[in-house]
Amino acid sequence: MAENAVQRETVLSLRETIARIENRRLAGVVKTVKAADPAGFRRRQEGNQASGRKVLPLGIPELDAILEGGLPLEGMTEIRSSQTRDAGAAAGFATALGALCQQARQQKGDAAAPVLWISQSLASTEAGLPYGLGLKAYGLDIRSLILSLPRTVKDALWIAETALSVSAFCAVILEIRGNPASLALSESRRLHVRARAGRIPLLLLRQSGHEEASSAFFRLHIEPAPARERPLPDGSMLCGSIGHPVFHVIAEKSRSPAPVGLFLEWNPHDRRFYPVEPLPAAAAADPEPAHSVARLSASSSRPGGADTMGHLLAFPRAS
Amino acid sequence: MRLVALDGLAEKSGFQLGQGVAEARAMCPEVDVLPSDRAADRALLEGLADWCSRYTPLVALDGETGLYLDITGCAHLLGGEKSLLDDLLARLFHLGIEARAAISSSAGLSWAVARFGAQSVIAPEEAARVLSPLPMAALRLPADMIETLGRVGLKQVGDIIEAPRAPLARRFGSMLLLRLDQAMGLEDEPLSPRLPVASLSAERRLSEPVQGEDDILGLTQDLAARLKPELEKRGEGGRLFELLLFRVDGRVFRIAAGTSSPLIEPGRIAGLFRERLQAVHDDLDAGFGFEILRLSVPRSEKYEVMQEDFSGTPDRERPLAAFADRVMARLGAESLFLPVLSESHMPERAAVFQPLADVGMLKTLEAAVCAVPAALLAASVRPQRLFQSPEPVEAVAEVPEGPPRSFRWRRSLHRIARAEGPERIAPEWWVDGETAAERDYFRVEDERGRRFWLFREGHYGGPTQPRWFMHGVFA
Repeated sequence: MAENAVQRETVLSLRETIARIENRRLAGVVKTVKAADPAGFRRRQEGNQASGRKVLPLGIPELDAILEGGLPLEGMTEIRSSQTRDAGAAAGFATALGALCQQARQQKGDAAAPVLWISQSLASTEAGLPYGLGLKAYGLDIRSLILSLPRTVKDALWIAETALSVSAFCAVILEIRGNPASLALSESRRLHVRARAGRIPLLLLRQSGHEEASSAFFRLHIEPAPARERPLPDGSMLCGSIGHPVFHVIAEKSRSPAPVGLFLEWNPHDRRFYPVEPLPAAAAADPEPAHSVARLSASSSRPGGADTMGHLLAFPRAS
Repeated sequence: MRLVALDGLAEKSGFQLGQGVAEARAMCPEVDVLPSDRAADRALLEGLADWCSRYTPLVALDGETGLYLDITGCAHLLGGEKSLLDDLLARLFHLGIEARAAISSSAGLSWAVARFGAQSVIAPEEAARVLSPLPMAALRLPADMIETLGRVGLKQVGDIIEAPRAPLARRFGSMLLLRLDQAMGLEDEPLSPRLPVASLSAERRLSEPVQGEDDILGLTQDLAARLKPELEKRGEGGRLFELLLFRVDGRVFRIAAGTSSPLIEPGRIAGLFRERLQAVHDDLDAGFGFEILRLSVPRSEKYEVMQEDFSGTPDRERPLAAFADRVMARLGAESLFLPVLSESHMPERAAVFQPLADVGMLKTLEAAVCAVPAALLAASVRPQRLFQSPEPVEAVAEVPEGPPRSFRWRRSLHRIARAEGPERIAPEWWVDGETAAERDYFRVEDERGRRFWLFREGHYGGPTQPRWFMHGVFA
């Protein structure tokens, strides 16, 4: 009997450890175990335990469920586009998140903290420089936007680290092209820890990169999707027009995966996302549904593509 | 090829300046002739000028072979003029440089005595006595004037000191008397120092040279702490700091670090130099160590002392300034940019990035952004990313002036599902010239939902065939 109790306690404490590592609060489990915590692992303070991670809810239940409450305001989130020509969409999604961070800061009554956009020069020459007028129309307050164009990935990482150690920014966007070897798992871990310590959201914007194991909380794959038409004052739609941007967001790294992905429309005027239904035409035109069926293996001269979801423990190193 | 400079041994052997090399070799076959390198000579002289700034900040170059040091008010630091001169010459001797020097109350007299005299320190009242036996060349006169003077028997300076001035001026021009008066100290002669003098500086002379980066930074922080009371008294903060490192072998390194707002805190000043030392790492060779460190403030500005309030909201500019300083110290002044809007219809000119030089710029820019008329901003759709130079694409349009049906960009074909446009933007003739073609911009969406900004330069039936370009991508 006594042996049973000891075993149960061990199991519970292990479960709690896992819950803490995973940053998840198992309802009830932690609290019941806490009183009889025999192991010597570090405890968080009571207040922190109650409030949990600081997040920015994005107002869409499905997206917030994927992100476990909202955009993490302390730590790294990776946003990836698989092709260079999708870089506009990925940058647009990151900019929208930056604008939301700015808005949240302003609503709290804080002084407007700038957004720092670090774009390695290779990335900005390939996909274009951020354009002030366009970003302003997109909802970002460009009066507090600072751009940095470092030459190498190493310089970019250094600037990001420096920026995360001063509490001057409301968000840092780090744009990198591809999977450079100098931004592998250990470097991403370092950035993630810095961002958590500095309490600043870091958006790693990976342009035309492969999926790779990283320390980010979440990795979102962004693809552009056909936009809705522009609404007319009488409620009908203007035929043939291009309205607000729509993104196809697939959560690649998340504890509650949604393999089909979400279609989100960014409304620059309201500064928020709205869920939209995919256009039937677009779904039909899409030759590759997101991870729903097993793909053919890639050509022999290259490493094979990602396997079916659920079988993979860690991605091979792409950098 | 002719000889342009001789060393002591060559002078004794009877060589002369201007002699042909072949003739010199005929006189003495084992003579060692090196090609002259004026740039290297100049670099050596400038290096020596830097080195001499250990005695005085006012160092001026004199031609190709000399230096003027204005030691007004500096001599007592080394125990008087005589010991300063001895120290200088001894150190130069150990560096392997043969030098002659003299101290007097006028630059002309020092020049003359250093080259033709023997005395080292000359009191002001001795000028006439010292100058009299020297040859005319000691007065820095042109060669032909010296020759003319010699022809009439005026070979020593003493010959003209006592002579009536009016006939001399009439016959030889005012130059002769000007040079004489300058040498006698009757006429003022301004020296232009090689580098501007810093308003403040602090210096540390070390008995044991330091090599380590941490030692240098620690000493820098000490020096900055010594500068702080003086800066506070003036109500100023430094915008530019310069660290001079005197290496034991005579080489001097200057490392400058700019700041984005006036700065007086020693810790942050040392932090700036930490980044600078990282940046110049390979160029800074400590060798056997540095013996003198000097921190100076070439540029300073009014410093606003701010009191922290009790509200607990941290000041937003200070951490930002610290960040900007660190980044710019390490990666150069052009590493951070701010977006600036301007009144222009051409997309590439309407929004540009301007280097962040000053944290105060953030505020002025806010005003500048607000000043641009809202009509210009709201008028039309603009992409979120813009290519610095538009990229040519091959486009196929259904009707000549209409939107494209498909286009090939970077070797991949995009079929267009929808298009908006055209938005015609006429070139600004006052910038682009009158012959520049107008652009018709289209916002297009391809079948996969990618949105692009294309334009057609020129129109059908115009002077040149129209061409299509990709100018930006939308979110």
